[in-house]
Amino acid sequence: MLSDYAIQFDHVRKKFSKSQNQFGTLRDDIVTLFRRKRSQDLLHKNEFFALKDVSFEIKHGACIGLYGPNGSGKSTLLKLIANVISPTSGSIEINGQIAPLIELGAGFHPDLNGFENIYMNGAILGMTIGEIKKKMDQIIEYSGLQDFIATPVKKYSSGMKLRLGFSVAIHSEADIFLFDEILAVGDEEFKEKSFNSIKNILKNNKTLIVVSHDLDNLSQFVDNIIYLKKGIIQN
Amino acid sequence: MNTSIYKRLIQYKDLFAILIWRELLIRYKQTTIGVLWAILQPLSMMLLFVLVFGMVLQIETGKCPKPLFYFSGLVPWTFLSASVASSIRALTDHRELITKIYFPRELIIFSKIAVFFADFLISIILLFIMIYFYHIKFSYNTLWIIPLSFILIINTATISLLLGTLNVYYRDVKLASEFLLRFWFFGTPVFYSVDTISIKYKILLFLNPLTFIIENFRRVLIQDRTIILWQFGFAMTVSIIFFIIVYKVFTELERSFADVI
Repeated sequence: MLSDYAIQFDHVRKKFSKSQNQFGTLRDDIVTLFRRKRSQDLLHKNEFFALKDVSFEIKHGACIGLYGPNGSGKSTLLKLIANVISPTSGSIEINGQIAPLIELGAGFHPDLNGFENIYMNGAILGMTIGEIKKKMDQIIEYSGLQDFIATPVKKYSSGMKLRLGFSVAIHSEADIFLFDEILAVGDEEFKEKSFNSIKNILKNNKTLIVVSHDLDNLSQFVDNIIYLKKGIIQN
Repeated sequence: MNTSIYKRLIQYKDLFAILIWRELLIRYKQTTIGVLWAILQPLSMMLLFVLVFGMVLQIETGKCPKPLFYFSGLVPWTFLSASVASSIRALTDHRELITKIYFPRELIIFSKIAVFFADFLISIILLFIMIYFYHIKFSYNTLWIIPLSFILIINTATISLLLGTLNVYYRDVKLASEFLLRFWFFGTPVFYSVDTISIKYKILLFLNPLTFIIENFRRVLIQDRTIILWQFGFAMTVSIIFFIIVYKVFTELERSFADVI
């Protein structure tokens, strides 16, 4: 590994707009285009900072809990780690392939069956076609959906979708896993299974970030907790 | 530029392959005749054109047989317009993915284009079969179809990326697209020939990249003439320059798609 750290945040700030349209009119856009450099730290009407000056480091193989009330910036933080959005200022360094499980099965297409969606989801999580082929049986078995694998996903229950999505993710070759509230879903049996898998992931020196409102549940298995409140890390 | 596109996309080649495979799967799900549509769609369009423009409106096509004339115009037009129409909505339709995980966003648009390119190839084969049945000889001129198709692909990608991106910011694009494409259709010599147009409109028509492509499709395939080299060089250069500019802007903007989409 190039660095000891899987994730490094350095004075990261992220600004969002509250209005439905991020833009006003075309004319406004052109005006702000020229002002962008100067207006980075200024808040316009309807704008707010979802994250204010966040710095932290996460080592490879760590399991970190992300805790905080609604609107504290947890999801924003996960999206920044997943490289889906860019920080307004500050810098972020990520070392390793990321598997975001923010809302499992986001990549599922309703008209395709379970088997086809495994390919799709696996590829999105950075697996090669060869890897998916090799792990196909394992993925299907783990999900427990052998009888429904040729059924279009639109006919799946939300629990079935969750199991399939989780199963693909757990078999991916990612180094950093992001879980958003997903541990609260699924029946007892599957929950236990997923806890065991998570322990397994950690054994392989993978990094895990788990988001939860439930502090008790979280502290059971994480090494450390990042407590966010109103976009600032609390101690 | 070429190497940087390559570097950017090579590690996502498996995802790209699966996106194309998925597009093909989705398209023929819940259909009874499946892939046969790829043959039926262009042929039925051609018959409609022969009926409306050839027989009812009696538009002049010169010495060229009417079915061949329309079909050779329809094939490039269909590829471009279908790709652009579906690319406009492609990014916004994948909002779920774009806000969850990173991959080069152009893959979504390129996979759409790739599927329509498969249709294009099937239509080209049909076109060759028709040419054979009309006893028109194939010659070395026929080979010009390859570089001409390349210009067509480059232009399709440029316009698809441009309008797809604009639609992320302004959904007006989606609403305007139907009019836009129809307007464009009338400004493209699909059902008429530029030879029948007066000189002052002719110049306007050649601002449309499809005019050059379709006119030359007919030249090299049906009339067994060669292309005019300086025109070809000019069209190629302009197309590539536009593509590079649009692609560059796209890679800059794609970082903020998840914020606005």
